Amino acid sequence: MGKKKLLLTIVTPEKTVLTAHPADFVAIPALEGEVGVLPGHTAMVVQLREGILRYFCGEERNAFAVLSGFAQVSGDKVLVLAEAAELATEINEERARQAWRKAKDIITMKGDQMDLDEAQAALKRAAVRMKLAEYRRKHR
Amino acid sequence: MASLRDIRKHISSVKSIKQITHAMKMVAAARIKRAQNAILASRPFAIEMNRLISDLYAELAEGDFSCSPAAALFEERPPGGPLCLVLVTADKGLCGSFNTNLLKAAAEWLRENRGRKLYAVVVGRKGRDFLRRLKNLDLEISFELVGIFPKAGYAHAQLLAENIFRIYSSRRVESVTLIYNEFKSMLAQRIVAERLLPLKSHILEGGMEPGGRRGADFIFEPDKPLLLEALLPRHVGAQLYRALLESQAAELAARMSAMESASKNASELIEGLTLRMNKTRQAMITTELNEIVSGSEALGG
Repeated sequence: MGKKKLLLTIVTPEKTVLTAHPADFVAIPALEGEVGVLPGHTAMVVQLREGILRYFCGEERNAFAVLSGFAQVSGDKVLVLAEAAELATEINEERARQAWRKAKDIITMKGDQMDLDEAQAALKRAAVRMKLAEYRRKHR
Repeated sequence: MASLRDIRKHISSVKSIKQITHAMKMVAAARIKRAQNAILASRPFAIEMNRLISDLYAELAEGDFSCSPAAALFEERPPGGPLCLVLVTADKGLCGSFNTNLLKAAAEWLRENRGRKLYAVVVGRKGRDFLRRLKNLDLEISFELVGIFPKAGYAHAQLLAENIFRIYSSRRVESVTLIYNEFKSMLAQRIVAERLLPLKSHILEGGMEPGGRRGADFIFEPDKPLLLEALLPRHVGAQLYRALLESQAAELAARMSAMESASKNASELIEGLTLRMNKTRQAMITTELNEIVSGSEALGG
């Protein structure tokens, strides 16, 4: 095994999702566009936005829905600090769609400010989940 | 003297109370494991977050820092302005002195700062009701979060952090104090009062190793001040999340020990009552026998 691998770690406040998982390639949804990371990448700190984080490792391909956070790349170690990360296979598309509709309803009804903020965030979350579910369908 | 029936009734009511307290104890014991795991699971995130912040700070030139908006969060504000209190209590009672001690500490703080404009951010029904009852204070409850336990998540902490930042920036608050119960062990909770904002500058140097900085030259996207500005609120969010989890675990521990001693007391009470019931019954039988014997003797048998 001559090829160098990246070590991917994903932590969220609620749990550690991955610890030093080997990967050949990681795609990070950064604030200003997707960033692809291969072994030997320069050290870097980026802010994430809600989106899809993918990684390949040999035949293994996986995707996560991540919500805003940060990623740090240094010396073949990729550290992702996200507010939430969900594995593609854990996502229930139907539920995401329902949540999306519900959030949309709340926004159109115009409740008080707190409800609105929460609904906006829920809308974003649901949109990412739906996108990921679609991605999973395409790349199965 | 109480009749046999009264004592029986009393025993059965104590018994059903004991059943309830016992069930509550079991529920708390089952949940506490999960609450403890949640605390453990939140640690790596907080540690990595602190490291990232100090890495970033190490990369940042002094001039960059002092003119970035992030610096405002560290700046001490002139004394005499309004203050903000963040109080984390439980939603429910029946957990021993958990809430009482907390509210006492809060009352102490309020007394010290009486006469100033106070803003309160409160988590938990008990604390909210307490603050609402207070009179003669210039206190405004700016935000409340009720009914989140025992399923406190990071989303709640984030909501809390957003609101605290809103108050902090819009009302010229001098400092934000956080009061909550820390989970020390199964038997002990400790009340913690700490300053949340302005941030203490030591978190910046926290991860620095003696002997100099790490050699890595990072690329930053977006640039450093912006990144730091986005990171710091999350640092506060992570801190609040930890406080919520600690309080949640402490509440369960307090409830568990309170309910255990309640169950023990109920058992003792039942024992005493049973003894009294048996004595009463025995006394009744004795008197009845006495009557029968003396009756038959009187008949000349």
